[in-house]
Amino acid sequence: MATNLFPKTRKLAFFMHLFLGAYAVMILFPLSWMFIGALKSQREMFTNPIGLPESPNWSKFAEAWDAGVRDYFLNSVIVSFFSVLLIVFISAMVAYALARMEFPFRRTLYLLIILCFAIPMHAVLVPVYVLLSETNLLNTHLGLILPYAAFGLPFSVILMYSFFYEFPSELEEAAKLDGCGPWRRLWYVVLPLSKPILVSVAIFNLVSVWNEFLLATIVMTSREVQTLPLGLVRFRDQYATDWPGMLAAITMGSLPLLIIFMLFQKYFVKSMAGMGK
Amino acid sequence: MGKIHKDWGASLILLLPGLLLLGAFIFLPLVQTIVWSLFRQEVFGGPQRFIGLSNFSEIWADSTFWVALINNIQFGVLSVVLQVGMGLVLAALLDRGVRRLKVFYRTVIFAPIVVSTAAIGLLWSLFLDPNIGPIQDWLSMLGLPHPRNGILGEPDTALYGVIFVGAWQYTGFMMVILLAGMQSIPEELYEAARMDGCKNIRAFFNITLPLIRNVIVTAILLTVISAFKVFDLVYVLTNGGPGTATEVLASYIFRNAFEFSNIGYANAMSVVFLGIALAFGFVQHRLTRRW
Repeated sequence: MATNLFPKTRKLAFFMHLFLGAYAVMILFPLSWMFIGALKSQREMFTNPIGLPESPNWSKFAEAWDAGVRDYFLNSVIVSFFSVLLIVFISAMVAYALARMEFPFRRTLYLLIILCFAIPMHAVLVPVYVLLSETNLLNTHLGLILPYAAFGLPFSVILMYSFFYEFPSELEEAAKLDGCGPWRRLWYVVLPLSKPILVSVAIFNLVSVWNEFLLATIVMTSREVQTLPLGLVRFRDQYATDWPGMLAAITMGSLPLLIIFMLFQKYFVKSMAGMGK
Repeated sequence: MGKIHKDWGASLILLLPGLLLLGAFIFLPLVQTIVWSLFRQEVFGGPQRFIGLSNFSEIWADSTFWVALINNIQFGVLSVVLQVGMGLVLAALLDRGVRRLKVFYRTVIFAPIVVSTAAIGLLWSLFLDPNIGPIQDWLSMLGLPHPRNGILGEPDTALYGVIFVGAWQYTGFMMVILLAGMQSIPEELYEAARMDGCKNIRAFFNITLPLIRNVIVTAILLTVISAFKVFDLVYVLTNGGPGTATEVLASYIFRNAFEFSNIGYANAMSVVFLGIALAFGFVQHRLTRRW
């Protein structure tokens, strides 16, 4: 049994729960205010900012969905799906080569990837914009997918490298004797046994890609291709005073990832905690 | 484990897609940012005129740049206090404090991480709104001063409002990182310490804290780095205002490049920004010796 941080008295346990409970309320209250506000009338937002609506009005959700949230949602799904797919496979390939193959400048390449990890997208915004504009990728899904994949790679490679490096090589030796090349060893031997790290890398990148805002702002200027975070902000600029509509849109924009998180919260927590290792 | 394959051709095929992406979107732009910072350019695709280091002397004399930098520093320091400080307390309570409801607390406190910062910013800009948000009413109910234009509408309070919303979203992340560190400490250490009469709160200071030192350093660095990168939150909550009260480096670079048509200048500030980011990256690399 774990020794406790504090003496085991009922009084102390009560205060600890009080503290954690108060903190949980501080998180939950604005989120429920958002959801309940979406059910209120415009007038109720002023007269009754905190309480429940007299007769909940669900129509704002359908209105916001049709006014653009549907398109933003689909764009986010497309961009996130392909970005994460590219990041997972390409970083596995790079990490496998670094961990198992011998080639010139291997050490240099690894150091360069660590260097890339320290370079924020913010610092190279102008050249990335120019590159996308010259290749006609502005306002296309690919115009976000490719840079997202590039900026997701460094950290994912580092995580997978340390996993592959500690991975016992006996199985691969056996596969090699059976005539499997490096490609088939990665695909049939290593990847099937690396599911935990693949899931971690996928979740971590899904959260950051799904929520990315800065690059999306400059790449996606036409409404039809905008992703959720950007679309929601544009939604505010457009329907500035329709507060219940705004709250309905934000609620719907936040729900998909929140639901996935609730279903797989163990994996999310593990994936994000890996940042601190 | 040994390298089991010496096949340069196969290595190249495995590396190629990754190298192309990194080359096109990180290395090439990195070089371009540095080179273009020596030029003056007003329109994308327009003429570039070589001006040496003039952009950098302009930065030196630009008061808004310094306001933005100081705001970033305030953001970093206060975020460390709020996020890592509170994250430590919450993690300690969940690790060896309460026994029930652990998963519930952890799930709730972590949840804001998976919501986009843009959505959180929109939610809080309404929540703090002087007309429809409840915060204003509560402040007046408690007899506390409540700025007429709302917390985000006054130059004196806006930055603290933004920092608070950032902490509201990210404290759970720090808590989870620190908690993972605490849970990797072997139970025997606590048992042994208890034999020696060291328990409870003393065990926290004598065992827990020293053993998660590296995790704490990482948490602090992650917080400081993200404080220097902050953009979404500022853009959505205050758009840098009122005036320049909440301007930060990222928003000022963004504005110069895409609103003020001051592209060369934006690149020069990006170089400064890059220098800061690399310095933090270097410190992180040395202090945690992760790789």
